[in-house]
Amino acid sequence: MALAPGSSKRDKVNRPAVSVPVEALAALAPKLRDDPALRFDLLLDHTAIDWIADGRFELIYHLYSTVHGHHLTLTTSVSRENPVVPTVGAVWPIAHWQEREAFDLMGVLYDGHADLRRLFLEDDWEGHPLRKDYKDDSMLGLPK
Amino acid sequence: MALVLDRLPGIVDRFPGGSILVTSIDAVINWSRSNSLWPLAFGTKCCAIEMLMATGAPHQDMSRFGAEVARQSPRQADFMCIAGAIVKKMAPRMRMLYEQMAEPRYVMATGSCAISGGPFMYNSYTIVRGVDEVVPVDVYVPGCPPRPEAFFYGLMTLQKMIRQGTSIREPGVRRKPVMAALPQGITMDDIQGEMRRLLEADNVVNVAEEAGEKIWTEKIRIWMEKHLYKP
Repeated sequence: MALAPGSSKRDKVNRPAVSVPVEALAALAPKLRDDPALRFDLLLDHTAIDWIADGRFELIYHLYSTVHGHHLTLTTSVSRENPVVPTVGAVWPIAHWQEREAFDLMGVLYDGHADLRRLFLEDDWEGHPLRKDYKDDSMLGLPK
Repeated sequence: MALVLDRLPGIVDRFPGGSILVTSIDAVINWSRSNSLWPLAFGTKCCAIEMLMATGAPHQDMSRFGAEVARQSPRQADFMCIAGAIVKKMAPRMRMLYEQMAEPRYVMATGSCAISGGPFMYNSYTIVRGVDEVVPVDVYVPGCPPRPEAFFYGLMTLQKMIRQGTSIREPGVRRKPVMAALPQGITMDDIQGEMRRLLEADNVVNVAEEAGEKIWTEKIRIWMEKHLYKP
């Protein structure tokens, strides 16, 4: 908490979780990895949630320390209109793949990512299908 | 008296010094094709694990139907068994595999996903709603996943189609696809009884009649009525 001003502890979770402002993410990530008391050296997972009513994407970083054996869930939010976040690939190299997935399916843009291409879908795919407002000609809605 | 066997389609008649076999090339080619299907196991999802692997296991004995030589190369296969949902990214690859298979080639769509998209039919950005949008399908085997008995029922249906089809007379003619659905609410005994009944109806040789003193031309006429393709 002291490492990043503006962060807040999250309730209603069964694991330590903090949400930080997106501006603090780039500076916070190396501290979380290198601080001797924290040592979060493993990024278990990185995903995104589309909160379309709030007009924001929530980005979730599940961190784990193989030294101390503790977990931390780090979340941050960006606006849906301009979803640009700094990459954490320099801190945790596995984030390269996870950020490509989040870009592919959600359209989150990672500033500083070396190779931000689609991961799962075809290269010529239009749109980002896990967004809640995604529409497609071949999609079939539920019958009434 | 009757025997159950997969007989060579033709009439064997006694002849001084041996026997004479009368048949048609069409019938022999279809007969051999139907009994030597080389499947290309195309499993993309749970149907491949639940059904195809169980079907290929020794307990089910797929080689009863001459279709046990599963190949991983489409060049050596002529029977594509699609087990599982096909997504848009997979569809061109599947079409390419189909084009690479040896002709004549047959396609069986097993399971709800391959037939219609199954539970992924609605609100999915990636599903192909039925593999018949990509490749022509001969037999549909419904189920989620189908039981091995249902798979064999579909396989026997396909064999029947091949035997009734044309080989050299009208190459390129395809039969209409069929739905090989086992009836609802039946037991294992019913399935096995149905399979036995089908097998017997197709392959019963009435020895007394075969060996009877019927006129030679009459025998040929009866056989042709039973076996030959009528457009």
